[in-house]
Amino acid sequence: MSSQIPSFFSNDIVLHVEGIRKVYPNGVIANDNVTLSVFKGEIHAILGENGAGKTTLVNIIAGCIKPDAGEIYVNGKKVNIDNPRTATKLGIGVVHQHFILIPALTVIENIALSLDSGFKLDLNKVREKILQISSLLNLKIDLNARIEELPVGLRQRVEILRVLCQNANILILDEPTSVLTPIEVEEFFRILRNLKEKGCSIILITHKVKEALSISDRITIMRKGKVIKTLTPKETNEEELTLLIIGEKQNSEFISLTEGNNKNKEILLLVNNLNVKGDRGELSVKNVSFSLYSGEILGIAGVAGNGQKELIEALTGLRKPESGTIIIRGENVINKKPKSLIKKGMAYIPEDRIGRGVILTMSIAENAILKIFEENPFSNKTIMNRNSITDYTQKLMKKFGIIAPNPNIEVRALSGGNIQRLIIARELSYNAKILIAENPTAGLDVRATDFTHRMLLDLRSKGMGILLVSADLDELLKLSDRILVMYNGKIMKEFNRNEYDIYKIARLMLGIEV
Amino acid sequence: MIELIVSLIAITLQTSTPLLLASIGECIVERGGILNLGIEGAMLIGAFTGFIGAYFTKNLLIGLLSSIIGGIIIVLIFGFLVIKMNLDQVISALAINLLSYGICIYFFRMIFSQGSFPYLSELFSPIPIPFLSEIPIIGAILFNQTIFVYIALIIIPILHYLMFKTRYGLSLRAIGENPSIAYRLGINVSEIRYIALIIEGALVGMAGGAICLSMFNVFDTRITAAKGFIAVSIVILGRWNPIGVLGGALLFGFAEALSLWVGTLIIGPISASISQLLSILPYLVTIIALLIGGRKAKGPASLGASFSRE
Ligand SMILES: Nc1ncnc2c1ncn2[C@@H]1O[C@H](COP(=O)(O)OP(=O)(O)O)[C@@H](O)[C@H]1O
Ligand SMILES: [Mg+2]
Repeated sequence: MSSQIPSFFSNDIVLHVEGIRKVYPNGVIANDNVTLSVFKGEIHAILGENGAGKTTLVNIIAGCIKPDAGEIYVNGKKVNIDNPRTATKLGIGVVHQHFILIPALTVIENIALSLDSGFKLDLNKVREKILQISSLLNLKIDLNARIEELPVGLRQRVEILRVLCQNANILILDEPTSVLTPIEVEEFFRILRNLKEKGCSIILITHKVKEALSISDRITIMRKGKVIKTLTPKETNEEELTLLIIGEKQNSEFISLTEGNNKNKEILLLVNNLNVKGDRGELSVKNVSFSLYSGEILGIAGVAGNGQKELIEALTGLRKPESGTIIIRGENVINKKPKSLIKKGMAYIPEDRIGRGVILTMSIAENAILKIFEENPFSNKTIMNRNSITDYTQKLMKKFGIIAPNPNIEVRALSGGNIQRLIIARELSYNAKILIAENPTAGLDVRATDFTHRMLLDLRSKGMGILLVSADLDELLKLSDRILVMYNGKIMKEFNRNEYDIYKIARLMLGIEV
Repeated sequence: MIELIVSLIAITLQTSTPLLLASIGECIVERGGILNLGIEGAMLIGAFTGFIGAYFTKNLLIGLLSSIIGGIIIVLIFGFLVIKMNLDQVISALAINLLSYGICIYFFRMIFSQGSFPYLSELFSPIPIPFLSEIPIIGAILFNQTIFVYIALIIIPILHYLMFKTRYGLSLRAIGENPSIAYRLGINVSEIRYIALIIEGALVGMAGGAICLSMFNVFDTRITAAKGFIAVSIVILGRWNPIGVLGGALLFGFAEALSLWVGTLIIGPISASISQLLSILPYLVTIIALLIGGRKAKGPASLGASFSRE
């Protein structure tokens, strides 16, 4: 049975939305007659796949976007939330999926930015307020640290403190756990329970069923813009919720890792005592050594900002290492330029798809041949052959499922998932043996993620060596033959597949020795 | 020897002043994420309007006031282009510099007949500060200066306070780092940037005024001599911090003072060519200092980027 929806006038309902509808200019119906209420002091999970419309709903409640229809009631009174300030005044505090923090400013400055006070900047008053709240909740944080120095988990804490400093009593958190390691998630849940005890009502947006079950008092499931059902954790279970989220049909698409191609394994990439400096001149990669074999996926686990970026940039020729060797097929390629690394068979799927993966203002076809345009039949070194390029791209689009009217569409018109498919298609367009995949599924929806995973496994079985650098531990556990844990620029430990232990790995990622 | 040093420092303070005024103005605007390369033009306009104002009213203070107004107007036109019209900052600055140059040539020719050499009968004279100016040695350096030097020195701590101790300054710095996040936090991005531009316009205009009304008593379109661009370099060297900017401005002022001073020492037939050679010293210092000191400079993250609300 679904839990009963109490009457409007109940004192216990702090937030009620009724019949919310939102159609984006591109015709997507993101919210369709969404109705739900939140009780005082409850943790209410909103559960749904990527694209279910959760963020849209949050943005409507936060006053960031206008709904096409529907009403919002706060403490029983109908309200018109036309901008974020109004939401703040009503006691609604939102921690968005993408943090709104300024990296170069300190914690205290960031919080001060969103608090109203006179001309003079009274940081002491702000500090007092933060300390009062943080001690109440046992949330420790260095107020004078700059945001860019903090790991993601602590940045989130700053966001929470910020909305609490604005006196929020309805807290909305959009996918807060997606950026956290398992240990940080536990700590984060402790904070949520604590807030709840203090009388806060919490809306927790997530697409993770287990989390919703473990922390919430009630769960509302959204699918394709609609509210499907509201349940309590007691009256349901993982399977039922999963089915409700994805809808009925859909065969089990779980990928299992088969034994790798063990025959004639060869070392494709050998890294020895590599040291690389970061942007600010600090040593970011410290004495890193490893080897990558053919037919394997070597995972690199780590919280973002522990040297992975610099390591990848050194490997792909984008950053000059301080010392060490990088050997591809017997040749030291340190200090080689990207072009010669590409010639040596290195492919790269960057995390920053927009900045590094494609050129937005060029067409799909032009992007597709970026690495092979000098070759026949695409050009004779000087003049491009339009027809063969178009033919080639059309085939690629079909093979990789890139959906667009034609190959001459500018890439900026594509969705994130399609852009990723295009990048993968291009990186496989030349005969690469080594693939460096950097957070390849970050920000992708379920289908595109699944496609990417299948692609990686397919390449692995074809004998490619794949270095998978990912902040998503589940992804690494699922796909990699071995995992190296990186913390503070060092490789802490290597795990073979039979030794995987999520807690051990998570602790190492946080630098807690085990 | 001591007198020599004293006079060198005194000249340095004078030559630094236009640079200091302009670069501190540029500093505050860049902290808000706008790169205004148009201050060369704005400085020229300030010099021009200041000269015209003083020439026709025979009143230097009115000259000063008109240089401030001229600077503000030109910088606000730049602000309109980049904030309201959302045009590229570098292209807009290019347009502003050309426009300013054109305005000066056109109106100067229109106002004064060909072949006449208008000049001001007086310049701002040093104002000795009672008692302090009587302190031996340093009194004459620090406390016997023109009004521009005093303004420049007072403005440094004021703007430092504004930048780091007020909500306005915090919002400005946040905008310079990431205008769209600042906007989402409810900060009025355009308003804060316009205020910074008005401050800059006043200071840069005054810098032009300082050249015409306290150093030379004539106007010429070459009078600013790229000081606006040097001011932009000073901001980089000063790491976008008013106190750093003070140091940078003094360095360049010293280079200029040195070239002037050495020039006066050499007498004889070659003196002209040597002092011409020496006059490149400030520019040489700019280039070298930028090559050495500018390498690791990291300014506001969104400096020069355009921002629209979408
Ligand atoms: N600004 C936008 N313009 C057009 N479509 C959008 C926009 N934002 C989201 N969408 C679409 O609306 C749907 C719901 O998105 P969203 O609310 O972000 O879902 P969720 O947060 O559950 O993943 C998706 O299909 C998405 O592509
Ligand atoms: Mg979302």
